[in-house]
Amino acid sequence: MNSFDHFTPATLTEALSILAERNGNASIIAGGTDLLLRVKNHIVKPAAVLNVKRVPELRALSFDSNEGLRVGALTTLRDLTRSPLIRDCYPVLASAAGLMASEQIRSLATLGGNLCNASPSADLAPPLIALDAVACLVSLSSERQIPLAEFFTGPGRSVLQKGELLKEIIVPPPQGKTAYLKHSPRAFMDIAIVGAAVRIQQQGGKCQQARIVLGAVAPTPLRVRSGEESLEGQTLTSEVIRQAAKISAESCSPISDVRSAAWYRKRMVEVLVRRGIEATL
Amino acid sequence: MTDALIGQRVPKLDAPSKAAGKTIYGHDVRLPSMLHGRILYSRYAHAKIIRMDTSRAEKLRGVKCVLTPKDNPPHRFGYGKDNKPFKDIARSLRDEIAGVVATDADIAEEALSLIEVDYELLPNIFSPREALSEGALLIHPEHKSNLFQRYNYSHGDLAQGESESAVVVEEKFLLPYVSHVCMETSVVVAQFDHRDHLTLWSTTQIPFLLQRDLSEALGIPGSNVRIIQTAVGGAFGRGLDIYPYEPIAALMSRKTGQPVRVAFSREEEFLAGPARQPAEVTVRAGAKADGTLTFRDASCMLDIGAYVSWGTVTPLVMMETTASLYQVPHARFTADCVYTNNLITGAMRGYGNPQSTFFIETLMDRLAEALKMDPVNFRIMNANVPNSETPQGLVITSCGLKECLEAVAASADSARMNVYPERSRRNEGGRLVLSEVEGMTVTANIKPSPFNLQPPHIKRGIGFASTLNVGGGARIYRSDGCGATVKVDDFGHVTLVTGSTEIGQGSETALAQIVAQTLGVKIENITVLNSDTDIKPWDVGVHASRTTFIAGNAAYLAAVDARNQIFETAAQLLGVGVDQLSASAGQVTVRDEAGKSISLEQVARRRHFKEGGKVILGEGWYDPPTQLVDKDTYKGNISAAYGFGAQMAEVEVDIETGKVRVLRLACANDVGHAINPMAVEGQIEGGAQMGLGYALTEELIVKDGKVLNPDLLDYRLFTSADMPIIETRIIETDDPGGPFGAKGVGEMGGTPTAAAIANAIYDAVGVRMTQLPMTPERVLAALDEKEKRARV
Ligand SMILES: Cc1cc2nc3c(=O)[nH]c(=O)nc-3n(C[C@H](O)[C@H](O)[C@H](O)COP(=O)(O)OP(=O)(O)OC[C@H]3O[C@@H](n4cnc5c(N)ncnc54)[C@H](O)[C@@H]3O)c2cc1C
Repeated sequence: MNSFDHFTPATLTEALSILAERNGNASIIAGGTDLLLRVKNHIVKPAAVLNVKRVPELRALSFDSNEGLRVGALTTLRDLTRSPLIRDCYPVLASAAGLMASEQIRSLATLGGNLCNASPSADLAPPLIALDAVACLVSLSSERQIPLAEFFTGPGRSVLQKGELLKEIIVPPPQGKTAYLKHSPRAFMDIAIVGAAVRIQQQGGKCQQARIVLGAVAPTPLRVRSGEESLEGQTLTSEVIRQAAKISAESCSPISDVRSAAWYRKRMVEVLVRRGIEATL
Repeated sequence: MTDALIGQRVPKLDAPSKAAGKTIYGHDVRLPSMLHGRILYSRYAHAKIIRMDTSRAEKLRGVKCVLTPKDNPPHRFGYGKDNKPFKDIARSLRDEIAGVVATDADIAEEALSLIEVDYELLPNIFSPREALSEGALLIHPEHKSNLFQRYNYSHGDLAQGESESAVVVEEKFLLPYVSHVCMETSVVVAQFDHRDHLTLWSTTQIPFLLQRDLSEALGIPGSNVRIIQTAVGGAFGRGLDIYPYEPIAALMSRKTGQPVRVAFSREEEFLAGPARQPAEVTVRAGAKADGTLTFRDASCMLDIGAYVSWGTVTPLVMMETTASLYQVPHARFTADCVYTNNLITGAMRGYGNPQSTFFIETLMDRLAEALKMDPVNFRIMNANVPNSETPQGLVITSCGLKECLEAVAASADSARMNVYPERSRRNEGGRLVLSEVEGMTVTANIKPSPFNLQPPHIKRGIGFASTLNVGGGARIYRSDGCGATVKVDDFGHVTLVTGSTEIGQGSETALAQIVAQTLGVKIENITVLNSDTDIKPWDVGVHASRTTFIAGNAAYLAAVDARNQIFETAAQLLGVGVDQLSASAGQVTVRDEAGKSISLEQVARRRHFKEGGKVILGEGWYDPPTQLVDKDTYKGNISAAYGFGAQMAEVEVDIETGKVRVLRLACANDVGHAINPMAVEGQIEGGAQMGLGYALTEELIVKDGKVLNPDLLDYRLFTSADMPIIETRIIETDDPGGPFGAKGVGEMGGTPTAAAIANAIYDAVGVRMTQLPMTPERVLAALDEKEKRARV
């Protein structure tokens, strides 16, 4: 019943002009696997829909050993699971994407959509934050880069301003090993009850740098700095690992909902963080 | 009979058209000038409608009319005669209070939001206990009590059973709401013609009872109602009752004078469709030191929701498992079916049996443990046996329970030895590769890791459970019959018209095999018609795993009748006696006289084409030699045969997360004789998929009468990626009453699954799960509890 204007720009400038013209009141559609559900359920009633799938500037996928990875917003989850580049340099992104949805959905769903939808349980956010990824946001008048860790502001909310879109993600060259573990009742086609990404960089038998990032336990993906600090400079004995896992569980205060009770989410944080660290050793 | 079609792996006749997307389902039906109806449900679980203003909705462009309780005919309908199309007192959040007809469904939907309703709130009752408490508000005042029905069964002497017991175990169980989740949501198209006759395109399982129900609901003669059944995209018991949306569609059509379609959204299906009754159950059971069972005592409280359905009869089946699965000398079973302001409940595959088998077989395991006996041997020594009668009055003819248990015990041995079957055992329906992620191939079968590579937090276990299920119909209506006719035309083509209903279970194919075998023709020469009450003879409906047995017998009788007519003419033409003839390969041949034969089509033509000629039209009516249970004692032989089965589940439990992975499910079923082994396997595998979901993931979470997870994300079905290796074994016992020895199998596949898994979990980690589904959270809580107890 709701009719809306539909645009299919062919260039980034064209897309940004339409966004500016509409003063931000246009819904960007990429794969549509999040947006269309919300339209159907009358959660959003867009006056205009901007299909960005033809915009070539959003399709970057390149690697440079100094600058790292540039991966465009339109990269599909299927691309992430298949790209030799991703699989060689950032295998955690390929495996995280492989845990999402189903083959059919992965062929449509995009990286940009997963991040901009800003669901607390979005599976790509924790591993990307653990990799110190940076988001490139563009509007007609400006282009800015901000750490992905600062991108999310609440469930369904991000720092994206009116007229702005996510162009690509930049991931620094891989340092150490990264793991992402997802806990969900079903093997596939399920949402994370808890997601945990861990990156550990070791030198001389000691942990030099650590990242612990949790999904689905807070309004936004949660970086557990106290847990990271408890690891850095330490030899990663099982005692040290257990301690970091415990700190991680204590530092989050998840909610109880139909998917899980809060106590269970906390327990899973502890288990996943411990197993995640172990997986990087 | 040389060309043995019986026992062949015949692909389902309806499969190619379904695979090609050409089958006409209910959602595909479009009639000229068809309108669309949508239903407004109550905002409150218990409230009186004191004012309704429909004027804004009526003014919306495209809206044809709005219906309210004022449009109700004066009659009540439904199993408990407690329902009306539109309610002026809402008793649950799924109560229909108004409806809109419009030129498209979106307009109708928008119009719903323009209807203004003022409610006067009434106190809510969301728990059966509260509903039964002194002075509780009556949900249906005319019923005088919120207790709709109490089942009270017993045989033997419980006190004696207790006193003879060396071990006694007791447990409390909590069973959830689950939904059928048919791929096709509820849908109906209704049309009144100029004679005021109603035609309903429907996905019902009970076309002839629905005719009667609708005539009651609408106050028109049953002879004015015609039901046309479309292809059914899943039923599983959902279609066993009349639901308000059906008379509502009819009222909408009558008011507008045009055909009206009412189709549920997925969310509506979860909210307004029926669910399996949740129940609270307390069970005690005992055994002698030598392992002989002494007694069982089960009492259940079922929340049936705001309106009664045929689902309220499920305690009959729970009673049967309690009293008659294994030999139980003393037994008692009680069940209270209680009205509440919760969602409506209905019949669902297994009809009480998945519930009762879960609690009975869990206690069987506890008894075996208390006696320090092998769980399989303990079951075998108490197993039902052929040609026996249970104290409840079930007359057991063929019985392969022991063989089923032995078969799954063999699978348990390979599980213990860490041996796994070849992946694609067979190409038809063999396990598929689902996806490739990171070089790992993920198949529909879970791939178990070798024992020695298993991390210490993963524990393996195996568990067993059996099942007893009606396999020769179930008399819950005064007739359990089915009619059939078989016509042979002048091309030698055969048309079977059967009263029974195809709901995807493959009955068309099995019935075609029976008729083709009897007439000696190829399966390609058979057409099965089964979808129009104006054409087909009566049948009580598709439920209780009854179609192959009952409709199979009826089809067989009709085919024999047709064959007699064929032989009569052929004997004259060939100048031999009728008893010398046999039918095969489309020919009637004279036995012992090679070369002397006549084709079926020739016989047909010679019989038809003359003055005083006759058609070849056989008829059959089969109503099994069974009884309605006695209304006071609940005893009686409800079915002409009983099916048996056993399952073995092999599981892995992650003791840190509580997550249970089923690695293997071995299923052995006594089906009498497999008319079509491929279809039998399909029924068992499909049943297992539902049983796995019931055991581990499926639950409608209901709070204050409201479903909190009405979608396929948070209502978790088992997907192909979660499916374990399923080993199906068919045990054949050739039942004397079944067509070609067959018994029913439609429901057994999922019945023992939850119990087998619960017992396997116990074997793995030593906790007894007594609440379904056994989610990771519940398993972990049980493990915590066990640890706490160990510390004290
Ligand atoms: C069956 C199913 C299973 C799923 N399973 C998972 C899962 O396991 N894990 C998981 O995390 N998610 C899952 N999802 C959610 C969804 O598929 C993913 O979040 C997906 O990555 C979204 O991408 P999209 O391209 O389809 O987004 P869209 O629906 O096109 O867009 C989502 C949102 O992002 C905005 N947007 C998109 N691109 C941009 C851009 N370049 N700049 C600014 N804004 C933009 C849109 O306006 C919209 O608000 C599942 C969804 C379904 C339907």
